[in-house]
Amino acid sequence: MITYILKRLAIAVPTLLFLIIVSFLLMHAAPGGPFTQERQVPAAVLANLNAKYGLDQPLWRQLASYIWGIVAHFDFGPSFIYKDRTVNEIIAQGFPVTLTYGTISFVVAVITGVGLGVAAAIYQNSWLDYLAVGISIGAQVLPNFVMAPLLLLTFTWWLGWLPGGGWEGGQWQYMVMPVIALATSYMASIARLTRASMLEVLTSNHIRTARAKGLPESRVILKHALKPALLPVLSYLGPAFVSMITGSVVVDFFFSTGGIGKSFVDSALNRDYAVMLGITILVGALTIAFNLVVDILYAWIDPKIRY
Amino acid sequence: MTMNKLLLSTALSLGLALPSVAATVAEGDKLAENQNYTYWLLDAIKSMDPQINTDVEGSGVLRSLFEGLYNEDQKGALVPGVATGFDLSEDKTVYTFKLRDNAKWSNGDPVTANDFVYSWRRLADPKTASEYAWYMELMQVKNSAAVIAGEVPPDQLGVKAIDDLTLEVTIEAPLPYFPKMLTHASTFPVNQKALEANGDKWTEAGTLVGNGAYVLKEHILGEKVVMEPNPNYWDNENTVIQKITALTINDVNAALTRYLSGELDRVDIPAGQYPTLKEQYPDQATSVPQSCSYIYMFNMDEAKGPAALKDIRVRKALSYAIDRDIVVEKILQGGQAPSYNWTHAATEGFAMPEIDYAKWTQEERLAKAKELLVEAGFGPDNPLKLTLNYNTSEDHKKIAIAVQQFWKGIGVDLTLNNMEWKVHTDKMQNQDFEVARYAWCGDYNEASTYLDLFTSYSGHNNGKFFSEEYDKLMKESKTAADPNPMYTQAEQILAKNMPMAPIYQYTKVEMIKPDMRGMGQENLMQNWYVKDMYRVAQ
Repeated sequence: MITYILKRLAIAVPTLLFLIIVSFLLMHAAPGGPFTQERQVPAAVLANLNAKYGLDQPLWRQLASYIWGIVAHFDFGPSFIYKDRTVNEIIAQGFPVTLTYGTISFVVAVITGVGLGVAAAIYQNSWLDYLAVGISIGAQVLPNFVMAPLLLLTFTWWLGWLPGGGWEGGQWQYMVMPVIALATSYMASIARLTRASMLEVLTSNHIRTARAKGLPESRVILKHALKPALLPVLSYLGPAFVSMITGSVVVDFFFSTGGIGKSFVDSALNRDYAVMLGITILVGALTIAFNLVVDILYAWIDPKIRY
Repeated sequence: MTMNKLLLSTALSLGLALPSVAATVAEGDKLAENQNYTYWLLDAIKSMDPQINTDVEGSGVLRSLFEGLYNEDQKGALVPGVATGFDLSEDKTVYTFKLRDNAKWSNGDPVTANDFVYSWRRLADPKTASEYAWYMELMQVKNSAAVIAGEVPPDQLGVKAIDDLTLEVTIEAPLPYFPKMLTHASTFPVNQKALEANGDKWTEAGTLVGNGAYVLKEHILGEKVVMEPNPNYWDNENTVIQKITALTINDVNAALTRYLSGELDRVDIPAGQYPTLKEQYPDQATSVPQSCSYIYMFNMDEAKGPAALKDIRVRKALSYAIDRDIVVEKILQGGQAPSYNWTHAATEGFAMPEIDYAKWTQEERLAKAKELLVEAGFGPDNPLKLTLNYNTSEDHKKIAIAVQQFWKGIGVDLTLNNMEWKVHTDKMQNQDFEVARYAWCGDYNEASTYLDLFTSYSGHNNGKFFSEEYDKLMKESKTAADPNPMYTQAEQILAKNMPMAPIYQYTKVEMIKPDMRGMGQENLMQNWYVKDMYRVAQ
């Protein structure tokens, strides 16, 4: 097991490096640069800007000094657009925000999603099943960019219960709508996955045996059916968790949470190379880490799996 | 050198006579208890450094945190800021500004002429790498081009402190609108001590030292900016608003919802919603002229422009065929004005020329357009095919689709090409387009801010229109006693050559809470000052 983890970590380094190089090249290949503006800056000024940010160097050299900055000083460079800030500062401000509402959304999505899925599977073809499937399909087809304005109209304008946006250091009132908007579609996917795999498990031999030996139904479900039924769900949860905690553009966009989801998209549009790369590396590293966590959990849940 | 006292305008001389210009509470207005003001920002503030900022929204924040030589009043006329007046040399190239002796930084230090010298040099200095360094060139400050290019050191810039309260600025050539340019945020002073002590971090809340009516309390990127009165500001006793909060809300409709639920005092109205809101909230929905002009630029570049667009008949036909009334009345619906020229009609001193096709009916324009296209050799057998580039935005898209239909009516086959902003800009600047959406907002309230763009030596003439006559006129206008007749002539040259199709002129379409006063809406540049605002008791 330990060797397996070490091996996986060793592969992570070249994977990240590859990610950096590809992102870096793609970014520079896109037309325009950080200083491309409607008010075209005169050549002399542009030269000064490029010199200041090292953009006058050959590409390989920019890349090398960028990677060196990270390795040697954990410095992800300056933002070319938010010039008062460094990439480290932008991530340090935005990531805790997305991490908070992302984690809460994740917990909400898992609990409600698994709950709905299990209930639907146990009472298959009953009204409860139809209701659960109905809710999850409804949630799936209602994208969050439609849901967010609807929430805003309902809770802020119509009912006047919740503030329309902002973060205010993470007070709960400011979190309700972002969490609902973010959690809903994940919840729907989790519910459908859980239902399908639960149905499969419930017809399997070991459940028939458990029932035959007279175990109470609750024990059959919780002890014998749920664990194997969650295996396929688990492989979905790893990447889902990463994408939730690295922010949602839609949530940041509609609720002004100040998270990094919006910064990520903005950095690509603004050609803010360093910010874009910084967040790419963050997302990449988290993805690698949580895929590993999922694999370890697999071994724990399913004793047949050995690394 | 003999100096003659120059009174800038009645407004300025009035401003000189009156000690207070901020928040002049109108007679009969009773102040409300709540004097907090919350307004909307579309995006995060990119920088709070006057010499680094490039955004209109950033400039709004900077006008609260800093103060330049001059401010603008409610209608956009100059009023004294740090400067109380100036003398102009006989050859009109040396301005000597007298600074007020009670101007202070938020740390208590006096604001001196040296602060301006430091800041202006900083703006031009290649080491600062300011994207607005060119503004010094636009102001024609002596040696600015050479300083920016790094050919001479920044201390050669034509600005010097005669003493603590006297600032001398030398410009390359007479520039009638020079004083108007001094309200621009990039000319605001910064505090050398604060900069040197805190480096790049000097703009953070707590370390930012400004000389404006407000100090920065909090700045959370992408969420909000909070400001409170600066007790050291020279006119602080006339500051009424006690707390400014600027909230970043990226979605215009979300912002409007939050305005309607009482979270904001001022917000833009999304396109198409003005008529309904005006009906529902007649005391809050407003539409006032704003100094920006929206056009479709034709690429006339020698090598890269399409052959058809080099034919004046084709350019005219395309321009005639656009039904501007439909664009402003059916699409934008915010009181925008249909446009047949380039300079915003409300620009100070600008006299609108006679433009023939502006007076025709749309039927007449269409008939003429068809005729011109046939003359140019296009018809059903040989249809004119063009592409239009526009950047991502619902409004641009709607207008593009409408124009596609207008042009279809005269037999032009237009392909729409939507691209993200940076790609669009990059393609325009490399003449890699046929027809492109373009808009320009005035830097100052004078027609040259528009007309300079179509000179052959302008850095923004992306369509590569070239007219010797036009260049000559614009050059002469710089030294003319009254340049406005020349501006009118320049517009006539544009109408004759049609290097672009004017479409509409902007209005600022906003919701403003009915108890807000002093919002500066009559100022065409939309440069408001929170220090002039107040809330009345309802």
